[in-house]
Amino acid sequence: MTLAAKTIEEFKAEFKSVDISEVPYDKQGYHLSIESRTGNLLGIVNFLDRREFYIVDLFCVDYQDYLELVYFFNTHRELCRIKVTLKLDPEKPVAPTISNIYTIARWYEREVHEFFGVYFEGHPNLTYLFLHEEIDHYPLRKKHVPVPDGDKKLLNSFKPHEEENSFFINLGPQHPSTHGVLRVVLKMDGEYLISAEPVLGYLHRMHEKMAENKSYMQFLPNPARMDYPGALLFNLAYVETVEKLCGIEVPERAKYIRTITCELNRIASHLLWLGAFPADLGALTPFMYAFDDRENILDILEDVTGSRLTYCYFRFGGLYNDINEESFVDATKRFIERMRERLVMYDKLITGNVIFINRVKNIGILEQGQAKKYGFSGPVIRSTGIPFDMRRVEPYAAYGSIDFEIPTGHIGDNMDRYMVRMKEIEISLNIIEEGIKRLPSGPFKTEKVPKKLKPPKGDIYNAVESTRGETGVYIVSDESDTPYRMRWRVPSYSNLMTFPHLSRGVLIADAIATLGSYDIVVPEIDR
Amino acid sequence: MCDTINNIINIVGKEVVRTVIGLVGVFIVVLGNAIMLTWTERKVAGHIQRRIGPKEVGPFGLLQSFADSVKLLGKELLTPANVEKPLYYLAPTLIFVPVLVTFVVIPFDGFLQVKDINTGILVILAFSSLTVLSILIGGWGSDNKYSLIGAVRSVAQNIAYEIPLLLSLLPIIFMANSFSLRDVVEAQKGLWFVVYQPIAFLIFFIASVAETNRTPFDLPEAESELVAGFHTEYSGMRFSLFFLAEYTNMFIVSAIAVTFFLGGYQGPILPGVVWFFMKTYLLVFVLLWFRWTFPRVRFDQLLNFSWKILIPVSFLNLLVTGGILKL
Repeated sequence: MTLAAKTIEEFKAEFKSVDISEVPYDKQGYHLSIESRTGNLLGIVNFLDRREFYIVDLFCVDYQDYLELVYFFNTHRELCRIKVTLKLDPEKPVAPTISNIYTIARWYEREVHEFFGVYFEGHPNLTYLFLHEEIDHYPLRKKHVPVPDGDKKLLNSFKPHEEENSFFINLGPQHPSTHGVLRVVLKMDGEYLISAEPVLGYLHRMHEKMAENKSYMQFLPNPARMDYPGALLFNLAYVETVEKLCGIEVPERAKYIRTITCELNRIASHLLWLGAFPADLGALTPFMYAFDDRENILDILEDVTGSRLTYCYFRFGGLYNDINEESFVDATKRFIERMRERLVMYDKLITGNVIFINRVKNIGILEQGQAKKYGFSGPVIRSTGIPFDMRRVEPYAAYGSIDFEIPTGHIGDNMDRYMVRMKEIEISLNIIEEGIKRLPSGPFKTEKVPKKLKPPKGDIYNAVESTRGETGVYIVSDESDTPYRMRWRVPSYSNLMTFPHLSRGVLIADAIATLGSYDIVVPEIDR
Repeated sequence: MCDTINNIINIVGKEVVRTVIGLVGVFIVVLGNAIMLTWTERKVAGHIQRRIGPKEVGPFGLLQSFADSVKLLGKELLTPANVEKPLYYLAPTLIFVPVLVTFVVIPFDGFLQVKDINTGILVILAFSSLTVLSILIGGWGSDNKYSLIGAVRSVAQNIAYEIPLLLSLLPIIFMANSFSLRDVVEAQKGLWFVVYQPIAFLIFFIASVAETNRTPFDLPEAESELVAGFHTEYSGMRFSLFFLAEYTNMFIVSAIAVTFFLGGYQGPILPGVVWFFMKTYLLVFVLLWFRWTFPRVRFDQLLNFSWKILIPVSFLNLLVTGGILKL
């Protein structure tokens, strides 16, 4: 019996009056749909919490007649995606908070609040997360809804108050080790952190709103701007979702090329991190070495995709162009050979260094139990020992037919996160090798994909494993040529939000090492 | 050249002239060294990182440092609004005093020494601890939390590492039976002290990396944590004075290590001064090498290392040396 069938049985026994329905997974990307009411939402969330479901995403859709809060749940053991919806009155949207059950909801709810004006009863700190406090309307609502005057004071963003025996430091938005414009407000007692609060929004570009004003084709370059080091993977997440939504078939060759290029991009992204992480610890040389290797990948990908950083290579139903069999395969093979040698060198230079080991071992320990509360993913969750990888859980592109291992850590400290990523580089090399070996011939794109896509009415959630974790796209289509609502579930978001938890009471140097070990990309968090 | 200078000094025979000439010489060495070292550091860093380093200005980029100095001189001296002005202005100047004074007692050659004081090593140790004072003043006066943390770190670090530094030099003083640096060098005619005292040499070298605030012990400036540490708020020439002092300090600790452990200016065939500089820059190169290879240690690890390992070991070394000499 699958988990979905089991859950539906148990659910029906516990909640008799609540609608639960099975959803065609192939079409919509989730298994169950539950329609809750304000009264029983907490009961349902508690029910899922007891069954070890983690929260994938929480967001809102404005259907004009009503606002719909959407909660996505899933488990780390077996794929069983559940959509819980809650209809709200657009005039007075109030919902109970679930932040005491799922910690990450604290931030998701703030986000929903600032974009839709939904109030969450019992939320500890319902302030703006991304937006500037002076914004006068709720941007993602379909109609112009002004922010009530009485609320503006409440919505003021995080402002620290000085207390005795402690002081505040603004780590960022301009700081050498926040990797972009992330601001973290640190409350400190000498060298020790009392608390840390990430303040986001410095790179907020409102991609989700942009999507509502562009056709499906026009939005293609945008995902690459969110996660710039792993652009192809975000590109893939978007393209796959739209393909599933419209029922477009992809030829086998395109699937393999997608896999190969994505893995190349994953290595490039990990190499970027491999340079930045030791730099956070004070070693500047690995940065140059890693960039030297990364340059090789950029050259290979430039040949194929035409750009070096913000790729937009995948098209609905295939690719922008075919690879050059000879030069691409040769260059990739040469790179794999070189990279394997270099990995040995990195092991000697970084992994074996006693100062490095002392700086990262047993620092920033994330327990397995936290995974459910925060919903973090990617190398961060694998470092805690949970072998959760979307490539395995929900195979897409050609990952289903390629065998690969999933590296896991033991205790979830910075060292484990480092080791997992290093191992992933190695495994990506194997996947590329395997992919090249099996690369089928044939067309690289489906003919007859209309320029103007008009997907059928409905919604879909689809996820890929980007370099930082589970990247999900949720699209609501209303049969027009633009998405009615597009929601991006980004991995760095939930990864970063464990930082306040991990940085309590640690030295500032350790906090920075931990922040570096997450490999966050700020444009992706801010969207 | 040494003979000429020696002749002049003999003819005039006056302390004053010797001191004046000496000071001019010191200035030349300090500035020349700083200019040389900035270029060397960038070149070494470049080659360690598989780059070429500076190459545009002058042959092999040798004039790069001059171009940089001109740039730094031309920069506006920004003074942030809420700084403690007297302290803020004083710090970059003050950091140069200990640097210049320590040069006075270093014997570059048998005759090339500004003044041989019979308590030479005490002068060096006393004045080099002054460096931390100006770092503290600068960090405190900057009215910046990063600077303050950097300054406070620097004080704790210097106190912790001054002790093993002194303790590792004491066995040498026992063996040479003198506080004068020239006597110490002369005592190494046969065998260098590094052969008798390898542990003391290691401790001294590690402690001096910490004293000069170089990676892996560069906590007062810790770029990734404190932006630029104690000199975050300094710009233009004020910043470059801190910068110069750092490079001069590197030279000084290496010169002291050479004097005490590696036979100073002694060596066959080549003149003593050449030997001296060769040995010193070899050690400086090791310092550069450290910087571009190691990550930074954490603050508590740094202090633990000194108090729990370096200090007990150097005490033990001192006891053993004392015991053997007594026998």
